[in-house]
Amino acid sequence: MPPVFCHSLEELFQHIDIHKHKHLSFHHHLRNGDFVMNTVLRHYRDEQVEGLHLHPSSIFPSYTMLLELLERGQIASVTTNYLNGPVAQWISEHGLPGELKMQTHGGRARSIIDGRDRIDVAYLAAPAVDAMGNAVGYLGQHRCGSLGYAVADSQHAGITVLVTDTVLSDPITDPEIQGVDVDYVVIVDAIGDPDGIVSGTTSITTHPIGVRIASLTVAALDAIGAIREGFSFQSGAGGVSLRVTDELSKIMRQRHITASFFSGGITGHHVAMLEAGLVDRLYDVQCFDLAAVDSLARNDRHIPISASRYANPADPDQVIADLDVVILGATEVDLDFNVNVTTDSHGVLIGGSGGHSDTASESQVTVIVSPLMRGRLPLIKDRVTTITTKGEHVDLIVTERGIAVHPERVDLKAKLEQTTLPVMTIETLQAIAHSYTGKPVDPPLGERIIGVVEDRTYEILDNIHQKK
Amino acid sequence: MNVTAGTYESSDCLIRLSPSTTRKVIVESIVFDQFGDAIQRVLNDTLDQYGVSAVQVECFDKGALDYTVRARLITALKRGGYIE
Amino acid sequence: MSRSYLFIPGNTPSMIQSHDVYDSDAVILDLEDSVAVYDKDAARELVRSFLAAHRGNVEVFVRINDVDSGHFHRDVSAVDDLAINGYVLPKANPQAIDALAKACNHPILPIIEDPQAVLDAYAIVRHPQVKGAILGAEDLTKEMMIERTSDGIEIHHVRSHLALVCHALQKPFIDTPWTVVDDLDGLAKDASLARSLGATGKAAIHPNHVALINDLFGPSESAIRDAERILAKASETGKGAFRLDGKMIDEPIVEKARRLIAAAARYNKR
Repeated sequence: MPPVFCHSLEELFQHIDIHKHKHLSFHHHLRNGDFVMNTVLRHYRDEQVEGLHLHPSSIFPSYTMLLELLERGQIASVTTNYLNGPVAQWISEHGLPGELKMQTHGGRARSIIDGRDRIDVAYLAAPAVDAMGNAVGYLGQHRCGSLGYAVADSQHAGITVLVTDTVLSDPITDPEIQGVDVDYVVIVDAIGDPDGIVSGTTSITTHPIGVRIASLTVAALDAIGAIREGFSFQSGAGGVSLRVTDELSKIMRQRHITASFFSGGITGHHVAMLEAGLVDRLYDVQCFDLAAVDSLARNDRHIPISASRYANPADPDQVIADLDVVILGATEVDLDFNVNVTTDSHGVLIGGSGGHSDTASESQVTVIVSPLMRGRLPLIKDRVTTITTKGEHVDLIVTERGIAVHPERVDLKAKLEQTTLPVMTIETLQAIAHSYTGKPVDPPLGERIIGVVEDRTYEILDNIHQKK
Repeated sequence: MNVTAGTYESSDCLIRLSPSTTRKVIVESIVFDQFGDAIQRVLNDTLDQYGVSAVQVECFDKGALDYTVRARLITALKRGGYIE
Repeated sequence: MSRSYLFIPGNTPSMIQSHDVYDSDAVILDLEDSVAVYDKDAARELVRSFLAAHRGNVEVFVRINDVDSGHFHRDVSAVDDLAINGYVLPKANPQAIDALAKACNHPILPIIEDPQAVLDAYAIVRHPQVKGAILGAEDLTKEMMIERTSDGIEIHHVRSHLALVCHALQKPFIDTPWTVVDDLDGLAKDASLARSLGATGKAAIHPNHVALINDLFGPSESAIRDAERILAKASETGKGAFRLDGKMIDEPIVEKARRLIAAAARYNKR
């Protein structure tokens, strides 16, 4: 049976009782240009629905209606993979009646599929929909590319609602969201603002410190033999990661090396390498820019994948199980190689794992790239404020002044010590930072625990404290 | 007469000296929790070293390391004629 | 012999404290042109305070203000008792060299940046405290009111002249910096040309130029490998002269190979 088509949210709420279903989910593929969450939640605000449990895959600064619901006390709990901006600030300062649960991209999908996280209604922005409710993200007026974080929701939510502004007359042959899983399609004027949607990519850094970190990283990867025919690779969209990817592409060109795949968030830079024949396939769980979106639409070696296929350890097709190298960032690391990308040193929420913890646990080699000091704050603490990723999954930490190797990776250490690269213990690297900055006093954390960090094995890695 | 040295740039600090009958040291810093005490100490140690006690020192810090705090204070003290 | 000399603005803490991260063989902490006239005192104090507390694994020079600037003596005394590798003296001439040599005990690297200085280069560089020469083409061409171009035809003769002077006196000749920050291809051409004319190193005004300069002015990988083979064969045969690859290798060539390997080790290539 095809889904019920509505021409407004008002019409939708004639079919669904807005007060009945409290566990709501959204995806963040429209990033800071998303209209859907604000528009949907405005109805919940106006109807004064209370006791809401929100499951957005990430929270961006533009999700202002979420902030309003928090201020009005209508939200009981939030489960998400990443948050920053005013909502993050508010939750850090006030906490929630219930809990803030920080998951990972793979863990969120797993938990929804397992039924452990129950979604009553999934409100999913869908750039292009056909008459049967099939949807893709790489077509439509406000296309965003891969809908990876929406798939599990669409399949397991009690009620699946697609919100779209583009209904295609031809059937979609290879949909990311299957019409059989969709209950309602709501047609609106615009699901988002293009400028905010595809603005996820930064440029390749030219800052001398970032340049140095990238060049040490590539030299280290070379020394450990990671740059070889058929290797697989993932990097973020930040300036240093992009530079590492760019320098790698130069070496791959010189040595005629083709990578087997790149995974994760895809940018125009990755697309250029696909088109140049430097990599065989792109496994795309989210698109960061328009070049990536358009490549997804026309290139069958640029493959959209769901969050489950990306990073769910229980998924038989899990892509990152074959990942050789991942380049990740860090706000803090500690002497046990634990990484924090969730809070700053005051414990205020400024991010979240996203795919950090997932990829670190699967990748053969996990490389953390970061300046040794940010202003006067040293990267390396005795103990991170919040554990996002466990140290046992981290292999190398590359800073502009030196490279630390996890003590258990004697194999990598042996190879790196044969080079002239600045390899040293993490304690030495910390001491170097302290010789410049002095040892910082740790700001006191608030007493009240307002949430937890949960990894994709469902283990609670750490608590999140209210801001003092 | 107020005297200043340094800038508000990242990794720098701005020192402002004002006349005072006693020593007052006031620190505002983007890393106050982590390094406020350390900055206070450098300022006081430097004033001690040069034997200056009757001055108000305001430090507006953007993550300056100890050597920068010290240098900016010394520059301000020289500009203000507190030391040679 | 340093391949790269990176200028670091002396009043910018963030750059000073990262001075040894940029991988140049030498840095020149600058109290002159990159510092505003009203902050000369602040820069002097900052550089002094930094050098008194920290030291990286890199050669450190301080470019003081010129002898007529009114800052000269205070600049010299600010850092004279610290562990620096020398002073860089702008607008150098024989009298200025004498004045600096009297005021300090450290080595001197003069910047040759006006026509008279070019003509007096031999007299400047032969002074025992002078350890090389730096060409300052921006000021030189400005003085002569000629255009400074990317292919450098206007300074071609000066480069050759200074190369001759420095080589005759067996001291390094450090080429003028490339001033187009984002044009790395232009830098590569400019640095290659300077090297081919006899420059032994090059100054830089941006950290992103250092890697290319190091590559072009250092021994190449193949030269290092050849030198390694010569030394291996020399210790193997134990003879004063031997054949390798059909060529006669005698003691001067073996000595040259030894110095090249020592330089490679210094540059972290071995």
